Amino acid sequence: MGFGQFLASPEIKLKVVTYRDVFQNTAQETSRFGEEYERSSAVIKLDLKDIAKLTIKDGETVIVKNSSGKVVVTAMKSDYEESHAGIAYMVNSPWSNSLVPDETGGTGVPKFKDFEVTVQGAKGEKVTGISEIF
Amino acid sequence: MSEYYVCTGCALLCDDIEVETENGKVKTVHAACRKGVARMKGCIDSLECTVDGEKTDVESAIAKAAEILGEAANPLIFGHGNSSSEAQKLSIALAKKVGAYLDDTSSFCQGPIIEAILQEKLKTCTLDDIRHKADVIIFWGADPSNSHPRHLSRYSYFPRGKERQRGWEEDRTAICVDVRKSETAIICGDNRFYKIPMGEDAEFMDALVSALSSKVPKTSFGFDAKKILELANVLKKAKFGVICVGLGLIYSLKDLEPLFRLMDKLNEVSDFNIMPMVGQYNMRGFNQNLYEETGCINRVKYSPESGEAEHGPEFSVVEALRNKTVDAALIIGSDPLSSLPLSVSRYLAEIPLISIDPCRNLTSSRSNVTIPCALGGVEYGGTAVRMDGVDVELKKIIDTDNLPDVEILKKITEAI
Repeated sequence: MGFGQFLASPEIKLKVVTYRDVFQNTAQETSRFGEEYERSSAVIKLDLKDIAKLTIKDGETVIVKNSSGKVVVTAMKSDYEESHAGIAYMVNSPWSNSLVPDETGGTGVPKFKDFEVTVQGAKGEKVTGISEIF
Repeated sequence: MSEYYVCTGCALLCDDIEVETENGKVKTVHAACRKGVARMKGCIDSLECTVDGEKTDVESAIAKAAEILGEAANPLIFGHGNSSSEAQKLSIALAKKVGAYLDDTSSFCQGPIIEAILQEKLKTCTLDDIRHKADVIIFWGADPSNSHPRHLSRYSYFPRGKERQRGWEEDRTAICVDVRKSETAIICGDNRFYKIPMGEDAEFMDALVSALSSKVPKTSFGFDAKKILELANVLKKAKFGVICVGLGLIYSLKDLEPLFRLMDKLNEVSDFNIMPMVGQYNMRGFNQNLYEETGCINRVKYSPESGEAEHGPEFSVVEALRNKTVDAALIIGSDPLSSLPLSVSRYLAEIPLISIDPCRNLTSSRSNVTIPCALGGVEYGGTAVRMDGVDVELKKIIDTDNLPDVEILKKITEAI
């Protein structure tokens, strides 16, 4: 046990854009409660600069939260060549939907593809399971 | 000669699918995408017939569902995108009978585009027109490589068509406008990928309209004017253009006016159509069926007394759950606890909840009544409407003990 565990992990604010992923969609067709669905859904893709700010490594878990909810997901470095620091990508799933705010301005359409979260290293905490989301 | 089946994995409804069965199960699926193969092979978490968590027979579950809907003052009936048109029509009749809120996923996705197409405010075409004629294809806020994997290979980019004999290499130009470099953007290539900031689609559209009007395009985010002028030139020269509208574009626009302006201009200088990138296999069918019945595509509330339908955002599934104006819910072939913000859908677990689905999902796991149904396009047939409005006949491949949703809805309606 090192001294580092007593230090608070850095926390950064990011905007999230959700997207579709055919591999995750395939896993969803087979089982919404399966390991493959969790592995392909409970992920946040981050820019390398944001990964550095969080002092985490690719593949470690992070806490993603806002006033709507909180989940622990796997942080992965985004494979986009261009920098998108400040913007993170999450596949459309119950994990991302637990963070989408309920504000709609009365339109009936939540902001699925544009919401803010804070992200912080989870220090080895396990990914939130699908049955723990609700 | 081979027998071909229809894949219900998405609203492309690919009708060239060959299937091998073994011991009454789908063993091998040919020609479908990986998502389609998984859909047609079926899930491993079959839904069980239950009332209050206890296993029961289907007749008892139907009786309980009828009791819940009959006793509710303001029930919600939601789902429909994974049901045949026949089942959707019964669901509309059931909603009318019990004075329900009635909605589907188009309410928070492709609804505005489908509505504008049905009201003839947007020019559209079929997927076959795209395959045979389209030379300029814009994927705007859409990533079919992930959402509709065979869109590019069967219709929009790679195939040779009657008037596109030289294929994608020479005959077609694919363009991507998006906030991120998606897999589809990579196929379009760096020269044909227009990366714009989040929420700036409307401004980019107006800049494009300026460029198409031979004015210098300007954007507040400093997009290279030369690049927009170059894009306008490609669009002007199109013989048959199409804009494939994805959720990225729809969520970014406050209303469709910028899209109307762009389409008007494009059709002044060229020939352009809209293709809604509908997700669930028969979402458009529900929109069309309800439109024929009420003049609205979604978001209606039937009066239990007069049977008249009111329409508005306040009757959308999201607002009904946010405002807690419904007191029971029947969910058909959908999983709103997964697909809606949890902050909105959480309320579903507080009210009597009924799920009809072939598979277990988050919503069914919180339901008081669960009724397993046959899988559309695999375990029963029926009719569905493709994303472009073309009717497609689904064929049954294998037998099941589960009733199709159309039968379940008929029995629930009769029992009320």
